[in-house]
Amino acid sequence: MATLDIELPRMALLYGLCLLPWLLLWLIGLRLSRDIVVGVLRMSIQLALVGIYLKMLFELNQPWLNGLWILVMLLVADLSILRRAGLKARYFTLATFIAIAFSILLSTAYLVILVIQPAHFYDARYIVPLAGMILGNCLQGNVIALERFYSALRKNENEYATFLMLGATRWEAVRPYFRDAVKAAINPTIAGMATMGLVSLPGMMTGQILGGSEPWIAVKYQIAIMICIFAGTTMASILNLRLSLNIAFNAFDVLRDEVIKKP
Amino acid sequence: MSPIIQFDRVSVTAHEKTILVDISFALFAGEKAALCGKSGSGKSSVLRTLLGLHTIKSGAVYFQQQRLTASTIQAIRSCTAYIGQEPILGAESVRDALLLPFQFKAHRQYRPTEARLIEALQRLQLPADILNQESSRISGGEKQRVALARGLLLGKKLYLLDEVTSALDAESRQAVFDVFSDPDLTVLSVAHDPAWLELCGIVLELEAGRLTLVKRNGNA
Repeated sequence: MATLDIELPRMALLYGLCLLPWLLLWLIGLRLSRDIVVGVLRMSIQLALVGIYLKMLFELNQPWLNGLWILVMLLVADLSILRRAGLKARYFTLATFIAIAFSILLSTAYLVILVIQPAHFYDARYIVPLAGMILGNCLQGNVIALERFYSALRKNENEYATFLMLGATRWEAVRPYFRDAVKAAINPTIAGMATMGLVSLPGMMTGQILGGSEPWIAVKYQIAIMICIFAGTTMASILNLRLSLNIAFNAFDVLRDEVIKKP
Repeated sequence: MSPIIQFDRVSVTAHEKTILVDISFALFAGEKAALCGKSGSGKSSVLRTLLGLHTIKSGAVYFQQQRLTASTIQAIRSCTAYIGQEPILGAESVRDALLLPFQFKAHRQYRPTEARLIEALQRLQLPADILNQESSRISGGEKQRVALARGLLLGKKLYLLDEVTSALDAESRQAVFDVFSDPDLTVLSVAHDPAWLELCGIVLELEAGRLTLVKRNGNA
């Protein structure tokens, strides 16, 4: 059972649906035409490019090319995490890369090699979308973890110093903020698992059903991806924070000013 | 006898601003000293420098003749109690606040008994039932004395007090001072309060990050 293609004329019809919200927004006095056009155009071009790229990736299906694609995704995610967390890439790029690469590769490998077991473990059809989904969620978690941790430390500078004065090591003194940051990072994933299927049908499952999969298979894959996201996010945020501790403090356990971007 | 604290021509900058210039002084075991001067003159920075919270630009700080470096800072901090104007207790209840440092590896084996907690509180004229109160509900003066009691429980020898007496009434202030009249304990404080300055043997006056006057009262 193949999915029905959407031919070009009907694709144009689809864009026509945008006119309805555009008209409504215009009627209530919201002049968003420019933003809407930019948004729709960017989405279309970016996805078209990904489409071309993925088609090529799937046709060639070369292990090194698939690996390179994952490497590029990891690097983009790395820099994006640091920028959004307000940390200077100059100091943390390597630490964040190690943390996300280790966690993503481990959870993707676990899923593909041990659980799904395709004929070739490097099969682009499996590793590219799965690693991408895990990474996308992991990115959110790492932004939250780093941002929470370093803003809590700066906000509670005196409390942190008090812990040090009371004989705590750096690790003992940061532990309360460390725990809070990890909790904030993984909470959305845990809450997402708890409501999965009740509030909305998860995207990957919907896609697989549309693609012609048995609902049962789609359900199993959805469970698999959620467990991998949970494992990947938890490992990556803990590892990332832990590695950053060696960079963000001076030898006197004081947070270095220069590693954090000025707001 | 060698000094317990020695500042040798110390200059400190923080956030590209000079905060201490060429500070030299020495404090011997058992001495009680007060730093005074206008706000922003660098009084608290002297205390923070000793605790390794500022980076020393030039000069050196010695603690029991050991130079303050990354490798000695833990030892210095472990001998020192710092109590600020609004001390941070760092726990929900007063009992947990007093026991907080004993969760850390450095003190884990010295966890005090209930009787020792009460004794430490009483030395600072705090009632035993304060133990069960929430840290957020006690007054500023009580917080300061709880923080002092925590220092006593840790057996600290050097007390850095940042405007501690500002929140205390005369009676509590006397109680605090009586505790520190112990010749084993050394005090370096920041104070405005004339009554406290009177009680200190040494007064160090700061102006714009420089030490302008050292006065020995000769009664300590």
